[in-house]
Amino acid sequence: MPVGPFGIDPIIWAPLRLVIAVGLALFLVLNGALLQIYLERKIQAIIQDRLGPYHVGPFGLLQTFADALKLISKEDVRAAATDGWFFVAAPALVFCPMLASWAVLPFAQDIVGANLNIGLLYLTTLGSMTVLGIVIAGWASNNKYALVGGLRSAGQLISYEIPQILALVSVALVVGSLSMIDITRSQTGPFVNVLILPFSFLICFNAALAETNRTPFDLPEAESELVAGWLTEYSGMRWGTMLALSEYGNVTDVCAIITTLWFGGWQGPGVDAFPLLGALWFTLKVYGFIVVMMWIRATLPRLRIDQLMSFCWKGLIPMALVNIIAVATLALVFPNSLVPIAIANWALVVLFIAGIPFLQRRRLATLRARARASAAPAVRAAS
Amino acid sequence: MTFDFVEPVVFALLSIGVIAGGAAVVLLNRITAAALLMAFTFLCMAGMFVLLGAETIAAFQVLIYVGAITVLILYGVMFTKFSDGPRALLFKRQTPIAAVIVAAVAIPVALLSFSFTSAPPRPGGGDLPALATSVFTDFAFPFEVASVLLLAAMVGAIVLTRRDDPEEAAMRRRR
Amino acid sequence: MTVPVGAYIAVSAVLFFTGCAGVLIRRNAVVILMCVELMLNAANLALVAFSRKYGSIDERGSVFVVFVFVIAAAEVAVGLGIILSAYRNRPVVNVDEIHQMKG
Repeated sequence: MPVGPFGIDPIIWAPLRLVIAVGLALFLVLNGALLQIYLERKIQAIIQDRLGPYHVGPFGLLQTFADALKLISKEDVRAAATDGWFFVAAPALVFCPMLASWAVLPFAQDIVGANLNIGLLYLTTLGSMTVLGIVIAGWASNNKYALVGGLRSAGQLISYEIPQILALVSVALVVGSLSMIDITRSQTGPFVNVLILPFSFLICFNAALAETNRTPFDLPEAESELVAGWLTEYSGMRWGTMLALSEYGNVTDVCAIITTLWFGGWQGPGVDAFPLLGALWFTLKVYGFIVVMMWIRATLPRLRIDQLMSFCWKGLIPMALVNIIAVATLALVFPNSLVPIAIANWALVVLFIAGIPFLQRRRLATLRARARASAAPAVRAAS
Repeated sequence: MTFDFVEPVVFALLSIGVIAGGAAVVLLNRITAAALLMAFTFLCMAGMFVLLGAETIAAFQVLIYVGAITVLILYGVMFTKFSDGPRALLFKRQTPIAAVIVAAVAIPVALLSFSFTSAPPRPGGGDLPALATSVFTDFAFPFEVASVLLLAAMVGAIVLTRRDDPEEAAMRRRR
Repeated sequence: MTVPVGAYIAVSAVLFFTGCAGVLIRRNAVVILMCVELMLNAANLALVAFSRKYGSIDERGSVFVVFVFVIAAAEVAVGLGIILSAYRNRPVVNVDEIHQMKG
């Protein structure tokens, strides 16, 4: 039984650390949703050169409480033609897998809900269960726009699972274990995994943006598309659960996975002396990534559904496959050293970034040729 | 106090879930509810795999069956939902004969299956390292064949469901 | 008191025969596909139960189960492709009426 910090008796530490883990998980998910709604509005405001919420509370900090109170006190409007049990169950089906995935994330040394030796596989499994909830939400609304939005979102989610899983597998290849605690422990000091596998990090970050329906991949739930996509018929706290809690919980979850795999998780200066300080470093790193995701949301325009799908199948999946082949081959050829893998991965990053202008030029030429070929004769004569 | 009663109780609950879900798929009129109860059956099966100690197989079960196959079946249900007229749900003539034959075979098999002698207890622990080693060393060739099979299935499903794009057909004719 | 292997096999047998009965008595093609999936699951349960209780250390039964997963997934994809293509031709999903090879 692990001895607790400050020499706490193991018999007390064993349940206490579970309580701390569960408490931190619930705190990060539930309060995190409130905090992130506020952060999102403020960050978008700052980037868009305006003020954001400032009426309610100092600096508008109580705005989200006011919104939550309003949502809870709203009337539960349900169209009569919606599909009964499924309409009610869909928010739960979207929320529960996300909540369950907090069981394997390590917040600090020894503070983890369950040290599964298939931790990474468990996380990908739960990610794939969210798709079911979204399909049911779209179907149960008995609304053509909601159905199409739900099917589009489901298609997007299952497509982007593939590069995400391939990127996670490359980390498991390098570390040699699927357990989240082993992955965290394998990154000693400043040598975090992003120095070895930056290309995997980029692929996983892109796929994570798409998995959580964040801009630029948020077509299924954007306000100007398809009414509101698969959330159209949900209002009040059902909408609050689906959108606020589930989406921001998912964002936090995915950022926590990225932190643990590529950036050392809870490690940071001072954790050897105060093990519980790891929770602070973990939270700071996770929120760093969340702020980057919000920054991307405020900056980039939205992709169309066919652009989104072709980016996945013709862009991210070939890159992820090349990455896996390179990492696996080098891991077999040089089993004792991580340097060749690091060199190969950084080379892939440089190749990718340098290759973007060439690909864009070729694609522009193809699109221009296609437009010219199918245009009217008058336009064809003019161009 | 010992927690010895936990395993049989959990097994009993999971087996009730599995069998009830299976019966629901066969008997329910609303096929969307049947599809979701099939997903519930798959989840209870994953629980039974965990009870047996095969946690990797349990994770794959949820990932493949609940995450992918249930969604596929829901798509199939949605696209073909409104075609059933006011017909009977089950075959009128075949149902009693089928029920009798199936019960006549199932009940003896279920009762006889308790006659397996219990094996010496194996050391516990998960199945991940052994499974991974087996798949990639002893069974590497079937693994590669399975990947080719998946590729063939993917291509086949796409080709089967392609619609003829009128623009593409016109371009082909023009060429 | 551990659960005997016979209990797992009994559950697997009951589920298998439930799926079998479903294939025989249901008329909707998608529901027949769902019952086939139930039968595959029952087979998986039997394989894993025997592998974990009696098998050797290299988990050969579980390897077989991995291949059954692969084949089940491929079969559902192609089967739904067939059903949807036939549905596009004539919008019936009742297997009683999809009995002509013509058209």
